[in-house]
Amino acid sequence: MHIVVLAKVVPDYEVPAGDFELTNSRAHSRYKRMMGLYDENAIESGVQLKEKYSASLTIVSYGIKADIQVLRKAVAMGGEKLSLVLGGSDDPNVIAANLKMAVEKLEDVDLILAGQQSADMDRGIVHGMLAEMLGFAFIPQVAKIEQEDGQWKVIQNTESGSSELKFGGKAVLSITSVPENVPRIPVVRSIFAAKKKPVVQLPEIEGDAMPVDELSVDIPKMESVCEFLPTEDDPAETAKILLGRLREERLI
Amino acid sequence: MGRTPYWNIDLGILIDLFALPMIVIFFYGMYGHWKRIRQGKVRVNLDLSKSAGKIGPVYLYSLLTKGILGTKIYKKIYTGVAHGGLFWGMVVLLLGTILVFLNVLFGLPVFSGGFNHWFMAFALDFAGLAVFGGILFFLVRRLLFPPERLTEPKSRTGFSPIVLLLGVVILTGFVVEGGRIACNGIDNGSFMGNYLSMMFGKGDEWLTLHRYMWWIHGFLALGFLAYIPYSPLVHLLLVPVNAALADPMPGTKMGLIDFSSFEDEESEEMPVLGAAKLADFSRKRLLDYSTCLWCGRCHEVCPAAQTGKPLSPKGVIITLAECLQDGRVEDDSLIDSLTSEALFCCTTCAACMEACPALINQPKTIMKFRQNLVMERSEIPELMGKANSSLELRGHPFFGTGAGPNDWCKDLDVPLFEEGKTEYLLWIGCSVTYEERAQQIAGSMVKILSHAGTSFGILEEFRCTGDPAKQMGNEFQFAELAQQNIEDFSDLGIKKIITMCPHCYNSFTRHYPKLGGNYQVIPHSVFLKSLLKAGRLSLNRETNTICYHDPCYLGRRNAIYDEPRDVVNSMGKLVEMPRNRNESFCCGGGGGNYWAEEVGTRINQVRAEEALGTGADFIATSCPFCLLMLTDGAKKFTEDQKIFDIAELVALQLEER
Amino acid sequence: MKTLIIEMIEPKRLGELVTVSREFCEQPDMVAVGAGQIPGSFGKAYQVADTVAANLVSDLASLILKEGYEIVLLTASTLGSGIAAPLSVKLSAPVVSEVIGIKPDLVVERPLYGGKAVATYKLNKMPAILTIRRKYFEAADLQGFTDSSPLSIAEKKVALIAEKEEKTEGIPLEDAEVIVSGGRGIGAAENFTMLQDVADLLNGAVGASRGAVDEGWVQPTQQVGQTGKIVAPGVYFAIGISGASQHLAGIANAKCVVAINKDEEANIFKRARFGIVSDYKKIVPVLIETLKEEA
Ligand SMILES: Cc1cc2nc3c(=O)[nH]c(=O)nc-3n(C[C@H](O)[C@H](O)[C@H](O)COP(=O)(O)OP(=O)(O)OC[C@H]3O[C@@H](n4cnc5c(N)ncnc54)[C@H](O)[C@@H]3O)c2cc1C
Ligand code: SF4
Ligand code: SF4
Repeated sequence: MHIVVLAKVVPDYEVPAGDFELTNSRAHSRYKRMMGLYDENAIESGVQLKEKYSASLTIVSYGIKADIQVLRKAVAMGGEKLSLVLGGSDDPNVIAANLKMAVEKLEDVDLILAGQQSADMDRGIVHGMLAEMLGFAFIPQVAKIEQEDGQWKVIQNTESGSSELKFGGKAVLSITSVPENVPRIPVVRSIFAAKKKPVVQLPEIEGDAMPVDELSVDIPKMESVCEFLPTEDDPAETAKILLGRLREERLI
Repeated sequence: MGRTPYWNIDLGILIDLFALPMIVIFFYGMYGHWKRIRQGKVRVNLDLSKSAGKIGPVYLYSLLTKGILGTKIYKKIYTGVAHGGLFWGMVVLLLGTILVFLNVLFGLPVFSGGFNHWFMAFALDFAGLAVFGGILFFLVRRLLFPPERLTEPKSRTGFSPIVLLLGVVILTGFVVEGGRIACNGIDNGSFMGNYLSMMFGKGDEWLTLHRYMWWIHGFLALGFLAYIPYSPLVHLLLVPVNAALADPMPGTKMGLIDFSSFEDEESEEMPVLGAAKLADFSRKRLLDYSTCLWCGRCHEVCPAAQTGKPLSPKGVIITLAECLQDGRVEDDSLIDSLTSEALFCCTTCAACMEACPALINQPKTIMKFRQNLVMERSEIPELMGKANSSLELRGHPFFGTGAGPNDWCKDLDVPLFEEGKTEYLLWIGCSVTYEERAQQIAGSMVKILSHAGTSFGILEEFRCTGDPAKQMGNEFQFAELAQQNIEDFSDLGIKKIITMCPHCYNSFTRHYPKLGGNYQVIPHSVFLKSLLKAGRLSLNRETNTICYHDPCYLGRRNAIYDEPRDVVNSMGKLVEMPRNRNESFCCGGGGGNYWAEEVGTRINQVRAEEALGTGADFIATSCPFCLLMLTDGAKKFTEDQKIFDIAELVALQLEER
Repeated sequence: MKTLIIEMIEPKRLGELVTVSREFCEQPDMVAVGAGQIPGSFGKAYQVADTVAANLVSDLASLILKEGYEIVLLTASTLGSGIAAPLSVKLSAPVVSEVIGIKPDLVVERPLYGGKAVATYKLNKMPAILTIRRKYFEAADLQGFTDSSPLSIAEKKVALIAEKEEKTEGIPLEDAEVIVSGGRGIGAAENFTMLQDVADLLNGAVGASRGAVDEGWVQPTQQVGQTGKIVAPGVYFAIGISGASQHLAGIANAKCVVAINKDEEANIFKRARFGIVSDYKKIVPVLIETLKEEA
């Protein structure tokens, strides 16, 4: 059994809003780069499957060379090798096409796991596109994966609860975060071992960009000063003003 | 009138022959201890501590004071005196017995003149009485009114039999003496013997009794001696050894782990990180476990054990002691039986070490287990895990913080450290950067240093010293961070550092030098004191009372008690909490427990209540973690904000020039 | 523009999509996923019983091509995100997910970086697929019902074994868009029912500071902060909470904090967007009344 986990290196997703800045419409380059949280959940899920079913586990990523260092952590958590397509596009179509190429270079991939969404663009579509390109089924929001009678059985979180799904073929699953897949801290032994594991670097192939133009990226203005609502006279009035203001900003 | 040895005894010399097998049994027992202890790893302390009075591995001063004089026992005065009577009484009695032997063998004239009167008669009787008193004290307390520290989590068995045996030895000794005197007449000085003889009266039956008692006393005494190594009393030999070998430098002295063998492609066997079983510990640690008295003094002062957490330092040490006794040195279920839950409760406050009369280093043992859990098994409580990941990813453990790295100084004018121009680096540290309440410490320090005209600067960008990682057991993470910091410091030519956090201070002074980073590091309290002394700051002294809380990493770990108190005294009137200085009670935030949700009572509430109980107007401390913990703890009891860092108080009282 | 909505039969979600569709057309068509009557009036309506996204993609693609739809609308939900991306590949169509704003000329907005930035995109090709983030558009009132014709499924890739409705006790804090949190200032466990009322009326969840948890008024699982839950709601009501840094660490990504505290110096006001300096007991009951009236 061969499992692939997709991981993406992104700028620190925990930078507090007050400290957030952009350069060239992207998060400022001064922020540390790290793996997205959902990606780590996916890796953890992958490692657990690997341990349970003695599968092999490959980490596949699309990014820049400097990402290798960060992705080693994914390997240290339990991956066997790393395959990185070198490229700098943000276009989901291009990324999916490149991931497809990387996956096809691996043999007999049975299952692909990916974080529910990357922690920078927050799109959650690349893995679904990849699935379609590979002819795999795509199942988003997966919380639990098991094998049963040669088939996969997964629990998918939905808005109203959960669904239990079963399938026999190949699939791409997007992984959500649940208490069972809190990413492990790799043990020191594997951190060192990860440094010696193979890294396949693949040149990017050209993909068709999605026919969408990005016009602008802005940081929404956050009022940093507290607006004190009048309280003296009439609490009912205060409540009305408050609710009015919240509605105005589409918060409720 | 002289005394004749073996008076009334035929073939008395037989007792000396009987002594021989007893001595063999004694040494066999001691050899047993040695055999168990040497199953540990040989670890030679390479950085030969320059302390005076160190011969080979032996710290003479500690041996004499803590080892032989047993200075630590007297912290509990009743137990101390009882123990002193018992121990020193036995020493005197042993001396007397040796003298008797010397008299028999070489005719040493001990039974005549003043020496006989004052020593052989009076002193020995007095010693016997002291021993007996001690025994009574211990028996009554252990059997009738045992304090919690003795019974939690478990009491020691085997203590009462040997103490009872000793009691019988002493009693029979007195009876022998009384019998002798009853037949031979009053022996001046032997007040116990004389008293007993008067009770006995005169008669042949006393001759017989004396004879029997003499033999019983002799056999029992030798039996007692031989039994020592097999009983809890073996501590009388092991404690001095343990004291002699324990580095007297305060704190746990965790040292560093060398990770180079992991890099090495060739090396087949990788070292175990931390410890999971007894065989992973050094011989010194195994000696610790063999030495433990089960006295529970550590349990009594441990913030975890005292607030309903699953950890007891005594519990840990005695579990290991029993395991060692049973020969289970390779049993790696040991770490599981201690539970990671308990092991992560330790705040590394070192109160247990401070209290331990046997000089055992409990936190080091606990930390070794933690290292194993984190670095070999990736087992870590979830919140600590998050803090660890944040350290790895962002260079600080404050995941979720709403503060950016420069928020603390956004309204301040703070100079950057410039190579060659600036004298002191003002090291901000992560809690001061990322915790809003603590940010004010830095603001105050900047104000004070500018006011005093100190040449100081800060780093443009920085990361944590690595201390939280180290405390949580992630030595690897610590090493990575420390190395990067040391590189940065050398690039800037930094030589002098002022710290606001004792954890940073401790890392810089204890661990960085071993990685090649040598700096003059000054905790802010000490620096403030020197500024005051040099007259570069003048403060409005007010009538406020200020209570000072000793941070564990400044106090117990580094013995800095006076400077912060001097600073406090120059602003107001210092008041002390019941537990202060080296007996200070932890705020609960150490050992990575800042990132934990406690079970049981909150440690910070216990300490805050103690501080508020002094009725002081302000409560000062000199550690950002203590500040944060106590601020939270005090909220249960008062709405007023009373807890401040000493720098904040100093900044408030600065007299405008 | 010919617009198709693909959605479950769920009036609120459907209503929001209908509102969005009005930016593009008079009356959209509709594929209803799952069983039931279709509320609202649609040009054409199809219905498919299978609710597993992976099984629907092929046939939806054929339908869209056949009918020549230009805009396809879904919600950013488990179903929507399961369909949108594969469908875009099938149709070589652009897809924009988690849309929160629609502007003229096919310009749409979506958040990036966990909502710390917002990007605007122009769609350059038809058909285009959009998934719409919940609660950003007012749900349209759906009048009457529309009859549907069945849409058949050719290939079942994934089988649905069971569905579990989780009527959890309210919404989990991490997912809640509105959180009403109380602190030590609430004064007693009973008073938390007031906060629960506000939360219920706003479809939110009740949180707490460690102060309140320490007092035993609420469950530790409700604690927000560094050692509790880290949350990111749209509105965070902090009532009787002083705003200690460890508490704020849990709400760094809350969009709007409303603080109600009797102490005007309280630190929470530094983080708040709206502040009310008052005893909460004067404000909160009135707030509940007002919400009830408006509902
Ligand atoms: C290591 C550590 C971790 C921590 N983790 C967390 C955490 O995860 N989450 C957390 O919340 N805290 C955490 N804390 C605790 C934190 O420091 C604060 O102590 C806690 O948040 C205070 O809770 P509070 O605001 O409810 O109480 P208080 O600080 O006591 O504030 C009560 C507030 O209520 C106001 N008030 C009183 N009566 C009324 C009224 N009638 N109407 C309106 N307002 C009123 C008061 O003015 C005051 O501002 C942590 C602390 C530490 C040290
Ligand atoms: S270091 Fe402190 S917390 Fe840890 S065991 Fe010792 S006394 Fe207890
Ligand atoms: S470790 Fe020390 S203080 Fe604790 S029980 Fe043993 S001897 Fe006593």
